[in-house]
Amino acid sequence: MKSALGIVIAREYLERVKRKSFIITTLLVPFFMALIMVAPALIMVFSTPESKTIAVIDDTGRIAAHLRGNDDIRFVTTTAEPLDSARANDSYDAILFIGANAISNPEESVRLFSHGSLAMVSDAFITGELEKAIEDVRLTDYNIENLRRILDEVQVDMTLTVIDIDKEEDSEISSVLSYFMSLGADMVLYMFILIYGQMVMTSIVEEKANRVLELVVSSVRPTELMLGKILGVGLVAVTQIVIWVALLGACTAWIVPLVSSSAAAADPEVAGALAQLSDSGYLLSLMGWLLVFFIGGYLFYSSIFAAIGSAVDNIQDASQLTTVPTLPIVLGIVASMAVLNNPQSPLAFWLSVVPFTSPMCMMARIPFGVALWEILVSVAALYGCILLMVWLCAKIYRVGIFMYGKKPSVVEIIRWARYK
Amino acid sequence: MDYIISAENIVKDFTGHRALDDVTVRVPRGKVYGLLGPNGAGKTTLIRIINHITAPDSGTVTFDGHTMTADDVVSIGYLPEERGLYKKMKVGDQALFFARLKGLSRKEAEASLRSWFERLEISDWWNKKVEELSKGMAQKVQFIVTVLHRPRLLIFDEPFSGFDPINAGILKREILRLRDEGATVIFSTHNMASVEELCDEITLINKSHNILSGSLREVRERFADNRYELAFTGDPSALLAADGFQVSLGPVNTDGFATADVRLASPADVRAFLARANEAVEINAFRAVLPTMDDIFINAVEQSNMSNPETTES
Repeated sequence: MKSALGIVIAREYLERVKRKSFIITTLLVPFFMALIMVAPALIMVFSTPESKTIAVIDDTGRIAAHLRGNDDIRFVTTTAEPLDSARANDSYDAILFIGANAISNPEESVRLFSHGSLAMVSDAFITGELEKAIEDVRLTDYNIENLRRILDEVQVDMTLTVIDIDKEEDSEISSVLSYFMSLGADMVLYMFILIYGQMVMTSIVEEKANRVLELVVSSVRPTELMLGKILGVGLVAVTQIVIWVALLGACTAWIVPLVSSSAAAADPEVAGALAQLSDSGYLLSLMGWLLVFFIGGYLFYSSIFAAIGSAVDNIQDASQLTTVPTLPIVLGIVASMAVLNNPQSPLAFWLSVVPFTSPMCMMARIPFGVALWEILVSVAALYGCILLMVWLCAKIYRVGIFMYGKKPSVVEIIRWARYK
Repeated sequence: MDYIISAENIVKDFTGHRALDDVTVRVPRGKVYGLLGPNGAGKTTLIRIINHITAPDSGTVTFDGHTMTADDVVSIGYLPEERGLYKKMKVGDQALFFARLKGLSRKEAEASLRSWFERLEISDWWNKKVEELSKGMAQKVQFIVTVLHRPRLLIFDEPFSGFDPINAGILKREILRLRDEGATVIFSTHNMASVEELCDEITLINKSHNILSGSLREVRERFADNRYELAFTGDPSALLAADGFQVSLGPVNTDGFATADVRLASPADVRAFLARANEAVEINAFRAVLPTMDDIFINAVEQSNMSNPETTES
């Protein structure tokens, strides 16, 4: 009889993996994800923004000379031209009007007239240029020799380099990359736990509705059948994740060198992130933990989904009951957002140890670097509670699969667990 | 007697409802045992307890001389009343799946499935998906997977529903063949004609209680209400004039004789009645009429409802 579980798992697994829909999504989704990853880089390379000409009417007569344009924005001084005629002139994209009091009171006296709104970038650029120009004029007014140079020497400009001391080799962590890794891992957890948990539920409801269940339980103990379903579907999920990770890994290996050699390499932040991405050890450990927490979270939640599936006659009746597992999953994602902002806080620690939220919250922290013992405590708590949860849900399942008719309430369902 | 399975003093409660109340059923080896009762009487719950699918609140189940364990389930083949198959799976794959669950190796299962498929003339369905089959076709597949592993105890719950008379006949033949090969059959149905045809022993469950048990013959004799059929030639008016006896004319029987339906107060009156009848008409035949299972079912259930009017919710 011990092999009955294996036979059930094999059927669940093979019936799903052989489906065309599974094969297609498994192969196509990574392709689209890769496309989304590459898209910004491609847009950066192929989009050359058209340059804009900005007429400057400078009533102070001192500021315009300090304005420096760049590739995108060109300043043209037209002091002679009155404002009205300049506004009528279509050859300018915008007119920058600098009033006579601009040096003492720039907020009040400077105006930018444009056809429609300018792009955010150009807006910020013009503001920056104006600030510098007015600063320069004000400095000159102090009449102190070399003041500009002194100020430049005083100015401090730095980016903070974070080093993770928990790792054997000191390695630099890009917190931006960690942030996105956390988000990505959480999204994967959220999607997979919900989708595959509900798959378990739906297929139990179907088995119950078309009464195959009655035939199957005459050969397999209900608990084994439930476990077989959960494990079989779980294996499908793991298969999909592994294929996706492999395909994405291949894509990354191909894209990272391509991107880092291009414009992006100029920015040290991006370069650091890319270097980290190509650090396979970092990625592998991340994927490893993701798998551990996915399997844990999936087993934990899918057994609740299984119990719900056993209790109802059709999928419509299930929708209300599914809030029971869905709510804590969503809560876990929301809590992760808080955890992301402060990955080492006590709140973050406890959220990542309590099984209901731990898969999501711990996965949100791991990319930032977490002490190994904390991860192990979280894993132990999660897997311990899985046993408890599976045991409880199996008791409900055993009774639920033979209950037809009235939609049961949560209280009734919990009462079933006490049946002999 | 030698019982393959006996369930003693079974009690099973569900929320606010007692499904089985101190029910005892003993199934003799090598017989076809009818488990009868109105809808909601508790038959299916009893079958599930026998099958080790649910546990009783109290009471014991003994299988083949020992307390039943989960491992005994492989010795049972159970065809439930409400039954289905995986719609998207191919018939052959599905049959293999069920056969392997019962502990057969893939090779044994396939060989024996092929021969069963041939015997029931469904070989060309092997690669069809279940959703393409009619209800009756699916029932045949379910029947095969129930009996394939040669279980010592077979439990059929309404096995003939959804079958045309020809296929029902094939199934009856197969069930009796399995019994003759040594299997014990528990047979649950509402179709009393098939009970008379197949069963050696019966138990009638009503409202969670066992209200009637025994061999088919014994039960029918117990419910015999001293009815007799007389076939005769001659003037019926003289026969009808016989006082002290309830006589009514029946239809002409297959041999062309007129018949009369006779009800006597007790079997001891047979001689007296025959003496009177002999004077009135020429007697061709005289036989006791045993009640049909239909009559017994209705009678027994009504009696039990009357003597036990506080209705348990069903």
